[in-house]
Amino acid sequence: MTVGEIQDVREKFEGTAGPGSVSDDSEALSWYASAGLAEGGKPLFRVAPTDATQVRELVKLARKTGINLVFSSSGPPRFRGDTVPSGEAVIVDMSAMNKVLRVDRRNKMALIEPGVTFSQLKAVAEKAGLRPLMPLLPRLTKSVIASYLEREPITVPKYHWDMTDPLLCTELIFGTGDLFRTGSAAGPGSLKEQWEKGLAQKNPMGPAQTDFARIVQGSQGTMAAVTWATVKLEIKPTIHRLYFIPAEKLSKLVEFSYPAMRRKLADEFFIVSAFALATMIASNPDEIKAIAAKQAPYTLAYGVTGGEYVPEQRVEWQEKDLGELAQAAGVKSTREVPGSSARQMLETISNPSAEPYFKTRAKGSFLDIFFLTTLDKAQSFIDTMRDVASRNGYPVEELGVYIQPIQHGRSCHLEFNIYFNPQDAEDSSRAKALFDEASKALLEAGAFFSRPYGLWADLAYARCPDTVKALKKIKEMLDPEDILNRGKLCFKEVG
Amino acid sequence: MISDEAYRELEEAVGPENVSREPAVLDTYAWQPFANDNPERWVIRPVAVAMPGSTEEVQALVKALGRHGLKFKAFSTGWGAYSSPTSDDVVQVDLRRMDRIIDIDEKNMYTVLEPYVCGAQLQAEAMKVGLNTHIIGAGPSCSPLASATSAFGVGWDCVYMSYSGRNLLGAEWVLPDGEVLRLGTLGSDCGWFCGDGPGPSLRGIVRGSTGALSGLGIFTKAAIKLFNWPGPPRVETDGLLLDAQSEVPENVRFCMCFWPDRKNQDEAIYKINESELCYIFSRTGLGATISIAAPHLMKHLTGASTLRSMITGDLKYGCTLIMVADSDNEMAYKERVLKEIAKQYGGVIIDLAAAKPIIRMFLMNFLRSTAVPVVFRMGGQMFTALDRNDTWDTQMDWADMGVEVKQKWIDRGGILDDMADNPYMVSYEDNTWGHCEEIFQYDPRNPDHLAALEPLFVEFSLEAVERCMEPLSSTDARLRKIISPMMGHYTQWQQKISGFMDGKRTADTGMYCDEVDFDLQKVDPDIRTRFEKVIEKFSWTEDGPPE
Repeated sequence: MTVGEIQDVREKFEGTAGPGSVSDDSEALSWYASAGLAEGGKPLFRVAPTDATQVRELVKLARKTGINLVFSSSGPPRFRGDTVPSGEAVIVDMSAMNKVLRVDRRNKMALIEPGVTFSQLKAVAEKAGLRPLMPLLPRLTKSVIASYLEREPITVPKYHWDMTDPLLCTELIFGTGDLFRTGSAAGPGSLKEQWEKGLAQKNPMGPAQTDFARIVQGSQGTMAAVTWATVKLEIKPTIHRLYFIPAEKLSKLVEFSYPAMRRKLADEFFIVSAFALATMIASNPDEIKAIAAKQAPYTLAYGVTGGEYVPEQRVEWQEKDLGELAQAAGVKSTREVPGSSARQMLETISNPSAEPYFKTRAKGSFLDIFFLTTLDKAQSFIDTMRDVASRNGYPVEELGVYIQPIQHGRSCHLEFNIYFNPQDAEDSSRAKALFDEASKALLEAGAFFSRPYGLWADLAYARCPDTVKALKKIKEMLDPEDILNRGKLCFKEVG
Repeated sequence: MISDEAYRELEEAVGPENVSREPAVLDTYAWQPFANDNPERWVIRPVAVAMPGSTEEVQALVKALGRHGLKFKAFSTGWGAYSSPTSDDVVQVDLRRMDRIIDIDEKNMYTVLEPYVCGAQLQAEAMKVGLNTHIIGAGPSCSPLASATSAFGVGWDCVYMSYSGRNLLGAEWVLPDGEVLRLGTLGSDCGWFCGDGPGPSLRGIVRGSTGALSGLGIFTKAAIKLFNWPGPPRVETDGLLLDAQSEVPENVRFCMCFWPDRKNQDEAIYKINESELCYIFSRTGLGATISIAAPHLMKHLTGASTLRSMITGDLKYGCTLIMVADSDNEMAYKERVLKEIAKQYGGVIIDLAAAKPIIRMFLMNFLRSTAVPVVFRMGGQMFTALDRNDTWDTQMDWADMGVEVKQKWIDRGGILDDMADNPYMVSYEDNTWGHCEEIFQYDPRNPDHLAALEPLFVEFSLEAVERCMEPLSSTDARLRKIISPMMGHYTQWQQKISGFMDGKRTADTGMYCDEVDFDLQKVDPDIRTRFEKVIEKFSWTEDGPPE
């Protein structure tokens, strides 16, 4: 676009979203130009709508002008590249839409706007005796809705019944400019009228015979903008204890995990490698290395909780049963690991990451490789990753491994963290090479990149042409002008 | 009618022994009284029936139908008119030859199965490895695959085992053009453990709260979730249905709870669910239970005013729950919490362990949902009034409303007297949300009953809309046309999905996205006025929903 055309579009956008809503501050725009390995075009400008009407008008304007809109709800830093524009684009910064519109203790839900962060939601929820379901140490600026839309795994698999959880109902603006509501929020009636009738937008399915929230989830902003959503909250426990199980072999922890998951015995439940655990505990590189050296290769953390009624008895039952399962698996739980008590760790994982973001503490930056698999296959993927790391000269003991069971333990998010020093060209280059090679090797070994960012999109979609064909048809239906985050996923050539 | 050429191609697709156009055979599919709005009790007769035995045969069949301008309607285990043709150019695709449980992944708690596997069959196999399957209210003879991919999905075990649509992991899906789409991990050759991705989840077009009822293709395999079963590998049972006697496992408790009033009941139910106590949870009216268990007795009781007032008054607010435990400590905790809640809210717990013959009779009827279909016994037929599932409070409101509407029609002689309070209520996922459908029973040989069906349907639909809820609309093309504009014109989106997936319109979309005018002039004037009012009030404008 020429300077004049950009100026024209800018004025139109500001006319739609109001005076002061548009910014072309160079530094702020640079936040969007790259993330992790992703690099793209510098955005033309950023526009910050304050309500759904403005969002809808912006989408309609983009249809007229052909401008690519990249929706972003979280603040920086960014790591995965889903909001890095492919070419010219306008960033639609949803962070100003940051109200918690409703918290319902009785029905354990909240209605929130896209700019609401986990800290914000946690504070409001706790006042009502509730707690949000969080991914592991989200960064302070992370939008709750963005996290759930990206299917980031939550740390409490017993409350992860289906892949949409904890997301419930949504208000969507499709790329056509049409507004739509999903789940029981679809109506009839306004939200206010629904509340008056006792509804709480708790049922995520539908309306009727579609479930567009599932289409929008995982779409990296290519199908619709979300202007609010309802999310599940859970009861804030009256007793909450965390335990660690350190183990030399992952297989022991897997053996423990399956029956524990099946019986929904624990709340928080995840496994981390020594180095990953150390990044959660310590705040600087030396300390991380020292603490990591003292950890067992793998540590499982699980929480037990008591609620309103006989909480002590509930906790005792869970502790005893989990203890028996641990004994059967040949492992033992403890309330302390080097560098952290269970109480400290519980406090840590019950909040967003303290600054600096925990994955940047070891070396300044990191690259994540994550995908879905089942627990019984985790070890073979770890072996593959370690092989590739060794070949690339990466110290395998410094690999981060994070295993998060999901859907009651039926599958798991398996994540590798490659830490590197962004100021060191050689280190950065090695990390990038490892990332590329390992991604391909893991895919070949059967990794399912369910959230395909960057490089993974081409790799993952090459394996499922029938899925691609169907997704392209849906994209054409919901975003016929291809104005929503152009060029992402399998939508490089629409039609 | 089907042409000889088309018929020959069907024979080529599935083998001549697996296709028929014999009227007598076709009429066996057309006799579908349940959920049928035709007073004659016959649905539209298919032009032929074909029984494919594999995915490849389903593909060949669908392609052949596309070539000849015919449509398909899939039938797994079938339950009423939902699996029946809606136009006179439809071939019924009977999937009964595809009846294998392909795999049970014990560790990762899922199964891969074909359409004609029924819930009872799967449950028997799953229990052998300490697992269980969600079984829908329509009963254990129904196909879990059909429920998960294409139909509804509520059952008494939803508190622990969720809803069929949410239990779908992967699926092999023959599209209306005959191509195969494999969802999630399956599509990437990564197994069956996840149905979502890469990126957007195509489960979003497979279904919503209801499935497309074959309007978008035919599902030939599916992976669905299984759940923990701490009981024995086989629950020893003699006899059938209400004459059954089962050995009750040590780690199973079966309780009925009664509460002094609705307020206390609702509070208690929220607390019971929050405390994660239940394996089975339901609220059914006591009158309903009697009408199901002993319909002749019910006919006598309805005239006994004292007993009637006791059942509809003092014993109105009750719920039934089954608790299971993997350890004594777990059961001790659950029993104690239940007692605490009962004490707090003035409840009475009847532990049926003290009534062994009763618990032995009811156990598998609840665990396997065997009892529900006997609701047909009272009059020969039943139907239901379903609202949009959401909070438990709204579902109780629906139940109370249902009693009022039903009593009016009982008094008019339009439906059978089951003491009116006959809700089928469950909670989902430890009461993340609730479900209520108001059951009514009728005699299809009674003209007054048949005449009452349409007004009842309209009135319940109106009541749902007035409560800002989606009524049971998915299968009714007339109602869909009315309510879609109040709900974001969702039918238009379903039509678009159908359009891009089914260019030749080979699927029977009568229960998915077709719309038919609803002649409100035939509706009771008061009801019509109310309907017109909500249409005006709730219809979306260009700006979106009315705020």
